[in-house]
Amino acid sequence: MRALKGRLFRPVLWLLLLLGLVMSLSLMIGGFSFYPSEFIAGLSTQQQFILWEIRWPRTLLAAVIGAGLAISGVALQALFRNPLAEPGLIGVSSAAAFGAVFVIVLGGALWHEVAVWQISVAAFLLASLSTAMLYLIATRHGHTDVALMLLAGVAFNAIFGALTQLLITFSDDAQLRSALFWMMGSLANLSWFSVGMVSIFVLLASLGLWRLVKSMNAFLLGENVSLQMGYDPKWFKWQVMGLSALIVGVSVSMVGVIGFVGLVVPHIIRLWVGADHRLVLPLSALGGAILLVLADLFARQLLYPAELPIGLLMALLGGPFFLMLLMTKRQARLSSVQRKRL
Amino acid sequence: MATLSSIQVIDLEVKIANTVLLSDVSCEFQAGKIYAILGQNGAGKSTLLQCLSHEIPSSKGSILWNNRSLSEFSYSKLAKQRAVLPQSNELAFSFTVEALVQLGEEVVQRSHKEASNTIDAVLNTCDLIPLRHRDYLTLSGGEQKRAQLARVLAQIWPSSPVKEGGGIFSDKWLLLDEWTAGLDIKHQQLLARYFKQWAAQGLGIIMVLHDVGFAAQLADRCLMLKDGKVFAEGEVNQVLTQSILTEALEMQVQVSDDAQTGRPMVYPRLSF
Repeated sequence: MRALKGRLFRPVLWLLLLLGLVMSLSLMIGGFSFYPSEFIAGLSTQQQFILWEIRWPRTLLAAVIGAGLAISGVALQALFRNPLAEPGLIGVSSAAAFGAVFVIVLGGALWHEVAVWQISVAAFLLASLSTAMLYLIATRHGHTDVALMLLAGVAFNAIFGALTQLLITFSDDAQLRSALFWMMGSLANLSWFSVGMVSIFVLLASLGLWRLVKSMNAFLLGENVSLQMGYDPKWFKWQVMGLSALIVGVSVSMVGVIGFVGLVVPHIIRLWVGADHRLVLPLSALGGAILLVLADLFARQLLYPAELPIGLLMALLGGPFFLMLLMTKRQARLSSVQRKRL
Repeated sequence: MATLSSIQVIDLEVKIANTVLLSDVSCEFQAGKIYAILGQNGAGKSTLLQCLSHEIPSSKGSILWNNRSLSEFSYSKLAKQRAVLPQSNELAFSFTVEALVQLGEEVVQRSHKEASNTIDAVLNTCDLIPLRHRDYLTLSGGEQKRAQLARVLAQIWPSSPVKEGGGIFSDKWLLLDEWTAGLDIKHQQLLARYFKQWAAQGLGIIMVLHDVGFAAQLADRCLMLKDGKVFAEGEVNQVLTQSILTEALEMQVQVSDDAQTGRPMVYPRLSF
């Protein structure tokens, strides 16, 4: 068995190269495209402005949010011991979105000015609350009922979706536009300051989750087994719920609901390197960053000059992927049944 | 000579949601011996084992681990002294057998070389070398059981040379809940031989069993539970008698002495 560093080195290198590539593409391609030769010749003031004030913050934000969403997917999948747990799918993102819209629409009436941090706090609170509720509903005696988890997710999505719609019907035109645009997910028009704030929170929460990789591995064997192996399952559960809700809440409050990153990326990474979280977590972070930077590039360029909301694009890509996942699961189950009959 | 590690259970009572699962349980376990906990379904065997591993709290009484209360130990400290094989195992993600065993091995800080030696040793012990790169989820039930057992063994596998005054397993404990279930006879016998060896080297083994005949051949002492209480406790010859088995397990049985081993021979009987 090779040491961890040895097993991480090559995949990390590959993904870093790929990330570098997609980030360069994202920086260069757009309404105004740069060519490598222009970088050498020197950029005009206008070009520098576009590069530094528009492209860089947006590309970094995509990378950070992609990484964060993938990590929160990994963490929730360990908590529920199931590869289908994903913040969007189990309703955590819609809860966060409801919290944010609540503040956008009603906060304006109460405090006149709505600060971004208020939106973030509301999104975070609803995200943690829904995670905790979902865990209570779907998990009995340390055993998660997958069907119950997904069905509760359907219910959460319906309830919070409806509540959000309800708020929107009460909102004025300006609120409506900002709420709608933001619900479909968008990385456009964010300042360096917002990028910095999101990055700090996502980074801290990710480091917090990185400390738990060994307990995540043990937790896959069951709550009791993780205790027998020396990890405190209660404390572990609170940390995972809180930290993943922090990532989802902060991301949702900044860029809206972007689903499926936390489902698609960890799944592919597991097929590649196995289920060990010490590999899956960092590699998923890189994979999530790559996926979202790439998706954002497509969202900007596909229907240029119109911009496709990235949340829509991810749902269009991720939905079929999810179906495919279910089909292969079904196939595997059928073939194992056949094997047992033989 | 260091004092032998011991576990004392004093007037233990476990009550969950107003149901009394165990009451007035007192017994003592000493390292270097194999203990079998016997009893009918629902007699409290697994509950007692879970109390010993500090998974469920007691409502009354106490458990002393080397004369110190169990609650004084942190989970991580306990994990280095005892390993537990639960009755059922769940794992929804695909791990290779080797990676699964590594999870148990990592509970202890070992050098890289010691770690890979440990993994090789436990895989070999559980006859898993040919399966080490197989996906756990594709294994048969019995093979999965052996893989889990290997993981559990890796947690307490001795990495340092023999300690002074004790065996290489001294101060270590192995708690097994129905480890024979699902295993074929070959592997039951193979592992039973190892358990005997390790007990001689200082390991304390406490196992919940249903097969009374197997317990009669393997265990040093037996603890018979009935309805959450201790029904009988003692050497195999004292506990595995016709009258105790008939009464505590409500089984039809014939017991005779094995002149060769001095142990009871237990024949469960079917009468139609």
